[in-house]
Amino acid sequence: MSALLEVAGLEVAYGAVRAVKGVDLVLHAGEIRVILGANGAGKTSILKAIFGLVKPRAGRIAFQGQELRGLEPHEVGSRGVAWVPEGRQIWATLTVRQNLVMGAFVNNKRAAVERRMAELFDRFPILAERRSQLAGSLSGGEQQMLAIARALMAEPKLLLMDEPSLGLAPLIIRRVFDLVREINASGISILMVEQNARQSLRVANWAYLLENGAIAGSGSPAALASTEEIRRVYLGG
Amino acid sequence: MLSLGFWEPVLILAGLNAIIAIGVYITLMSGQASLAHAAFAGIGAYSAAVLTTNFHVPFPLAILAGMSVGLVGGALLSLVTMRMSLLVVALTTLGFGETMVVIAFNIEYLGGAQSFSGIPLYTSIGLVYAVLALVLFVAWRFDHSRLGLAARAVRDSSVTAAAMGINVPLVRILTFALGGGIAALGGGLSAHYTLVINPGDMTFFESFRYKLFVLTGGSYTFLGPLAGALALTLLPEALRVALALSDVLSQSLRFMIYGIIVVLVVIWRPQGVITRVPTGVRARFPWPGRPAARVSPAAKVAALAAESRADRADASLGSPGADRP
Amino acid sequence: MEQLIQHVINGAMVGSTYAVVAVGFALTFSVLRVINVAHPEVFMLAMFTGLVVVQALTQNFLIVLVIAATAALVAGLAIERAVLRPLRRADLLMPMIATAGVSVFLQYGVQGVAGPDELRFPRILPFAPLEVGAITVTSLQLITFGIAVLILLACSFYVRRTRWGLAARAVAERPDIAATFGVNVSRVAQITVGLSSFMAGAAGVGIAVLYGSAWSFVGLLYGLKSWVCMLVAGNRHIEAVMLVGIMLGILEALTTAYVSSSFRDAVAFVVLIVVLYKRPDGLFGSYSY
Repeated sequence: MSALLEVAGLEVAYGAVRAVKGVDLVLHAGEIRVILGANGAGKTSILKAIFGLVKPRAGRIAFQGQELRGLEPHEVGSRGVAWVPEGRQIWATLTVRQNLVMGAFVNNKRAAVERRMAELFDRFPILAERRSQLAGSLSGGEQQMLAIARALMAEPKLLLMDEPSLGLAPLIIRRVFDLVREINASGISILMVEQNARQSLRVANWAYLLENGAIAGSGSPAALASTEEIRRVYLGG
Repeated sequence: MLSLGFWEPVLILAGLNAIIAIGVYITLMSGQASLAHAAFAGIGAYSAAVLTTNFHVPFPLAILAGMSVGLVGGALLSLVTMRMSLLVVALTTLGFGETMVVIAFNIEYLGGAQSFSGIPLYTSIGLVYAVLALVLFVAWRFDHSRLGLAARAVRDSSVTAAAMGINVPLVRILTFALGGGIAALGGGLSAHYTLVINPGDMTFFESFRYKLFVLTGGSYTFLGPLAGALALTLLPEALRVALALSDVLSQSLRFMIYGIIVVLVVIWRPQGVITRVPTGVRARFPWPGRPAARVSPAAKVAALAAESRADRADASLGSPGADRP
Repeated sequence: MEQLIQHVINGAMVGSTYAVVAVGFALTFSVLRVINVAHPEVFMLAMFTGLVVVQALTQNFLIVLVIAATAALVAGLAIERAVLRPLRRADLLMPMIATAGVSVFLQYGVQGVAGPDELRFPRILPFAPLEVGAITVTSLQLITFGIAVLILLACSFYVRRTRWGLAARAVAERPDIAATFGVNVSRVAQITVGLSSFMAGAAGVGIAVLYGSAWSFVGLLYGLKSWVCMLVAGNRHIEAVMLVGIMLGILEALTTAYVSSSFRDAVAFVVLIVVLYKRPDGLFGSYSY
């Protein structure tokens, strides 16, 4: 199986602070992989580096065999990578519909965008109901649905999800992770960054543990869940 | 010595500009981008000049009185702008300055549009540079006083500063007052050299010029505004000599070059030309009461926070000697 | 009563040009997060370009307008490329100072060529007074007002109804997110500055014809007033900026008529301080940075 995304020796630094220290990771087409780590472990920096939102100091980022490093964020975005950013970050001053239109900005064909939006409105009836409301007026859970739908509008091959469970109620968290599985079943590969080990191990094919900017371990969810360390630090038992 | 005759007024002007720029610098230190310092200079100038000209008050007293008016004005303006963001503060202070211009225009006692004249000559080049030295000393001490460090912390992040126990409103008021007072001092001196005050001296354009001195020179050490004010005052004059063209054309050319230099400096060094005290100077003149070794600002702020927690008396943030020259 | 209406109309005419300059200023600020101090100088450049075209080429108002506004567009794009883009990630004050440098350069550059005094701008539009009762409006006023309103409507349409206008709003609120969805932020910045400059250029010609004069330092006052309009309205809705621009013109006209002309230019700042003291985000809300 060839790798869809391959990150090797990634280094990100903010001034003198090294946030990511030589991270290697791989994602094959069709997989869900999760990067587990505490706050400040450097998880978000990895995703930002993939998008070119921060410039890595060293390393390779290959997507479908092509180097992403040195590309502008909008160039990465138009190559089939979309993201669900941390804390939703929907456009609060645009309507739900406008948010979705912007999600498909790379696609210039109006009819295709409308078709895609109709599909997503079927999957997210709540968004269809609120399509003309300002996105800022939605609840936290609804905003998370919008953030996910917005990313799906781009019809990505790879979806980057930054802490999709952050700040949501337990019931909605379950719903979000079920959704992650559904999205994956529709053929989209997912790289997720999470603190919620219990839920993300439930859906992932493979997990990396990130500590202080470096990979401290990796394995299949089953293997990881049985280790003492994971149980103590991430699963609270 | 050959051309001191020509250069003397230029040097006096540069010194006065440097004094006012230090005032801007100290106010900016706590993150308050004031565009009212020309107005403070004007307030100081009018107050001092009215006292010496109409009431024959001794010059030093009049200057100090003008300075006090600037101090109070700065504190009040700080109170008004307390909740506003950087940009809004800039514009509100600008509005304050323009309002002062209009008021001065409409007060007959201050000469109105005819400008206030007949001011006695007291200011000499020696006095200007003596006061500048004093103001520099204050700024130098301020940089390393508890107030100065607290101000830096507030400038970086007022939320974090507040969380560390720094009394943010107090720091803002004190730095604005001190900065306004120093600008008023410079204005008072200036009035007794030019012997005339125009309402137009207080417009935002003048304030912008002072801000330009600070930001091109560098706004993280007191040497920045000093270098900025001296260089940007002397430069157009030097160009005048070098170009020796007809008046209007030479003025245009000088300011075009001035504009280009400002643009280039900002693009080349977005932090200003002088971002820290050169290490050689630092080694030769270690900060009073502190080791010459380099201490990172973060460590200083942390130490400061620890101190603040130790003695809850936030009011003591204005360390002795830092808030009065 | 008719006197009052007359003052309000005159004020609205002037206010509409404030609105055009202020909207460009606000658009640039919202999208690029930059105070473009040189924006009103672009307006001034258009005045003088218009003057040159009138003297050397044609008296046809429309041609003058288009050439001058295009010159403003080119100048705006040059400023964006040379100054704003290199400073995109810098502290807010730095682009402000740098564009102030550009401003000084342009003011004195034009002064060097055109001289320090106001120049007469030929009346290239008909000056026919239209009277309704005791109220007089000249055709000149009506045409400049009409142009300003058209520009404002077009701008509002662009921001509300077009793909790139939507992208501009997305960039204004969250530039990084917009970029990852394929929006070329530099391109949006260029379009925004270009559009703003073009509008300012058109307003510049309008004002030059309306007042019959051109002056190298005219930008100072316009710059300040646009800044005030933006902050009083908040930069979230450009229509609010337009409204405040027109209101400001009316308020100034009333102050001149009933208080004193020397207070005219202070009105803006009194309004500003009062509004911002009560509502730091402006009357209609701002993007939070």
